[in-house]
Amino acid sequence: MKTLVVDDFATMRKIVKNVLKQIDITNVSEAENGKQALEILRKDGDFELIVSDWIMPEMTGIEFLKACKDDESIKKIPFVMVTAEAQKDSVIEAIKNGVDNYIVKPFTPDKLQDAIHKALARVKNQ
Amino acid sequence: MDAGFVNAYLTAVQRVFKTMLGLDIVMGKPILKTSARSSGDVTGVIGFAGDKKGIFNLAFSTAGAIFVYKRIVAEDASSVTPDVVDAIGELTNIIWGQTRVEIEKVGYKLNAALPTVVVGQDVEINFITKLPVVSLPFTFQADGAQENLFLDFSFE
Repeated sequence: MKTLVVDDFATMRKIVKNVLKQIDITNVSEAENGKQALEILRKDGDFELIVSDWIMPEMTGIEFLKACKDDESIKKIPFVMVTAEAQKDSVIEAIKNGVDNYIVKPFTPDKLQDAIHKALARVKNQ
Repeated sequence: MDAGFVNAYLTAVQRVFKTMLGLDIVMGKPILKTSARSSGDVTGVIGFAGDKKGIFNLAFSTAGAIFVYKRIVAEDASSVTPDVVDAIGELTNIIWGQTRVEIEKVGYKLNAALPTVVVGQDVEINFITKLPVVSLPFTFQADGAQENLFLDFSFE
């Protein structure tokens, strides 16, 4: 499953990649912010999963989510938001903008895997 | 200083260490920091504003920072590389995020900037605050040795 991991911190990209590897997702590309991620997605449209951070420079996770959902060619890719923004408003904003699932840092590998599985199932059932 | 703020930091640090690192971390007695020197060798720093303003520092020894890096990304390191610095920055970010959640529970809304990581021993770090800086000392087990972590913060 071709997956794009978006986070300005290399550490979090490595953590997410390690978790993805545990569920046999090894075809993973990385981007440091939403702007870079959009360029990758628009250049290469066969991604099947996006896992993105919220707070990033240049283009934040929520801006990136909105751009994805406004783009016909990539709007159907399951989108999981990983965020330290545990405040209610942030989560509600992500849901309103079509996020397929979200997870709040800190998380265990099991929780991230569960969030990914639910996002994939949600999109499959639409 | 409202004890609720200390509890917010304590809860956040313990939760993040347990969840992300699988480690139990123990807090010692809080002290008022009188020195303007960093409390460790690798220090994550975040400033915040909102209903309250202040600075939040997370200070590790070199060995503690390297241990945390190895534990969190399952990769080896023998010195404070840019990857180790990145890991301490992200850990600072996550702990601050959890602290915000806890502080919101006692009625204050806060915003924060991106973290900075200061590397070096005895680095001068000046908190711009009229109130005393609080230092929370923690210990955790790293490869059989006890490591110290200091969480220093101002809150006004």
